[in-house]
Amino acid sequence: MPEFGVERDLVVYNKLLDVFPKEVFVPRNFIQRMFNHYPRQQECGVQLLEQMETYGIMPNVETKVLLVQIFGEKSHPMRKYQRLMYWFPRFKHTNPFPVPQQLPEDPVDLARFSLTRIANDLDAAVTVYQLPCTDITESGEQLTLPHIVGIQGPSQMELLAKHNPSRPVFVEGPFPLWLRDTCVHYYILRADPLPPEEKVEEPYDPERCLDYPLQLDLDLDRDFGDEESFDVEDLDEGPVFAMCMTSQGDQATLNQWISGLQQNNPILGQVPTLFRLNAGPKELQGVSDTESEHHHRPEQETRPEEEREVLEQEEPRRSQGMKQ
Amino acid sequence: FSSSISGGLGLSNTMYARLAEIISLDGSIAVTLAAHQAIGLKGILIAGNEAQKQKYLPKLASGEHIAAFCLTEPGSGSDAASIQTRAVLSEDGKHFLITGSKIWISNGDIADIMTVFARTEVLVDGVKKDKITAFIVERAFGGVTSGKPEDKLGIRGSNTCEVSFDNVPVPVENVIGEVGGGFKVAMNILNSGRFSMGSSSAGMIKKLIAMTSEYAATRKQFNKSLSEFGMIQEKFAVMAVNAFVMESMAYLTAGMMDRPGLPDCSLEAAMVKVFSSEGGWICVSEALQILGGLGYTKNYPYERYVRDCRILPIFEGTNEILRMYIALTGMQYAGKILTAKVKEMKKGNIGMVLSMVGKKLKNTLGGSVDFGLTGKDGVVHPSLTESAKKMEQNVSLLGMTVESLLYRYGKTIVDEQLILKRVADVLINVYAMTAVLSRASRSISIGLRNHDHEVLLANTFCTNAFFKNNYLMTQLQKHSPENDDANIKKIAKEVLENRAYVCSHPLERTY
Repeated sequence: MPEFGVERDLVVYNKLLDVFPKEVFVPRNFIQRMFNHYPRQQECGVQLLEQMETYGIMPNVETKVLLVQIFGEKSHPMRKYQRLMYWFPRFKHTNPFPVPQQLPEDPVDLARFSLTRIANDLDAAVTVYQLPCTDITESGEQLTLPHIVGIQGPSQMELLAKHNPSRPVFVEGPFPLWLRDTCVHYYILRADPLPPEEKVEEPYDPERCLDYPLQLDLDLDRDFGDEESFDVEDLDEGPVFAMCMTSQGDQATLNQWISGLQQNNPILGQVPTLFRLNAGPKELQGVSDTESEHHHRPEQETRPEEEREVLEQEEPRRSQGMKQ
Repeated sequence: FSSSISGGLGLSNTMYARLAEIISLDGSIAVTLAAHQAIGLKGILIAGNEAQKQKYLPKLASGEHIAAFCLTEPGSGSDAASIQTRAVLSEDGKHFLITGSKIWISNGDIADIMTVFARTEVLVDGVKKDKITAFIVERAFGGVTSGKPEDKLGIRGSNTCEVSFDNVPVPVENVIGEVGGGFKVAMNILNSGRFSMGSSSAGMIKKLIAMTSEYAATRKQFNKSLSEFGMIQEKFAVMAVNAFVMESMAYLTAGMMDRPGLPDCSLEAAMVKVFSSEGGWICVSEALQILGGLGYTKNYPYERYVRDCRILPIFEGTNEILRMYIALTGMQYAGKILTAKVKEMKKGNIGMVLSMVGKKLKNTLGGSVDFGLTGKDGVVHPSLTESAKKMEQNVSLLGMTVESLLYRYGKTIVDEQLILKRVADVLINVYAMTAVLSRASRSISIGLRNHDHEVLLANTFCTNAFFKNNYLMTQLQKHSPENDDANIKKIAKEVLENRAYVCSHPLERTY
């Protein structure tokens, strides 16, 4: 069925079931009921239902009628159908973040959907910095501009505004995101967490609240038994300021993204931005090709008009896991 | 009320409470008057210097000029750090130029003299900081514009509008207190006017009782007048008890404030305000309910009372904020005393632990608590012994609960609002019981008319409050099954994450 592309079509399954002759395989007396009546055919029916189960298709009342007509009430396919009808409704809403069956075709829409899925923030705003278009320049070359879709929430904007300009921010990527069977890649703009020495807490201002004291002047701390803030998984990995998706993840495109972000976050003009890009998704290459790749790409330092420094580091994929 | 020197009546707090009781029959008038004198000119009265008092108070006291109090801004309700209105010193150093806007200013349109709070730059230990300063601003200075009056649910007779200041020149002499000292001025002003809400709510409820009992006695259904039905009788009892308690609390607080030496009764005033605003809202609702459909129509004044009463829990400090204030002030005081003891217990001092265990055993085995209220030398009249004993039990349990809370949370209790809310409720009930018991004792002792009715009201209220307090304090125990704080927080977190109601519709199908 996948060859014809109809594996998710319930009508086709019902038609397939229709192929079976009716009333032939229904057991008529207790001996037939005792011994597995027409076992190969029942197995075939069960396999059909099993394929429906694999593809997650909910059977129909027509399926039930057909099964009763073909195999009778107490047959294996009927039992399988009953099990399907018991479990599938329960599993329908188990995924708190369901992915629709039909993903949007348009890359911009797909990017918008996946970015909102990653951010999971109702306040975050998706901005399309560039729509995909193909230009033909004067010299007759085809210039394809990729789409750039970014997302940033107001709390991220605040965090970025409070970021210390002497510390760099990193553009990292591409990270894969699998939606059913499509893989999209996204890039993030993040900074390292502040070392504990440098964390500055706002000093207590006794004149902050007009009505009640925001901090009590006592020397007592929380009891150990009531201390609920310790969580092994709750680690500070550093703030993530924004994310973006683009089809072509090279530095020029990402530079465009950063300049688009700069319109709303002027601090990006003073903060040094380092690009830590992976090789990105590529086809597997032969041995000779990989060797030649390691030799070139000396470190380039460019100083564009604005004040930010830009360093490109082409790291091999292995080292992506190292936290610096 | 301004003192008689400047032409005012020179009333004490008690007399002010009595006047508020009468004025409260109309909500809008009460609010306009309160905005004028309880907060508008209070600043000049308590913190102004002689020159300011001489200049402004005579006209304000006579009513020629009207005052207003301008503190709230669109971005700043209780958070003083977010006040945006700025006051900059002019070049010649003689004026401050105030720029900004304030919202929900009562009497904003008609006021001539306003107490405005703005940020000024002050040098604190050599560091430039922004601090709030209080100014007296006259409309005659120019640059003061009022927006259009707000369309409110109730107290529609009082004028509430937005006031904008555009580089208003304020002479340096008009600073109340000192530059940068506006915070203390604001706190003192706000804390001093609250107690009158008790007597004004009580006055309103008394009037409502009179009006509704007329109706209940005359209307007949099923051959019985409404007043013979139990549920209606319960409503009247609730109204009477509430009025009694509110009056007692208000006058007790007023009396305390009138004692020589200007005692700080802000805590008691806050308790009065919270109880009266909520009690007032409940009673006014019940009064409308007694009248049923008639109460709902505009032909009768009940719906106006209901609408006017809705603002009571909101203005002059929202009840939530005041509960935090009540609980935290208490915790601060208790904490100071108990810090040493709690630290000893945490260290594991054997003697301390043994004494605690001993006390707990004594309580669980039914030891009685005696604070001296009852008995031979007791201050409470013998007919109130039961209620007094209940109150003593509550108080001692409260002490133990507070101690255990400080032990468990320490200074991080500031973040536990649900716990502080319960503590505040217990405190309010206990204060109400004190007021009620002392008033009833006094009535019996000096032989006021209908003192047996007062005893009845007092006992009813104390039984009710005793039960509520016990339940609240049980909820405050560690790992108590009655405490559903964790569930509440979880529900709230899920609802707020989705910003909608989370459950699937009951009619939804899965197949």
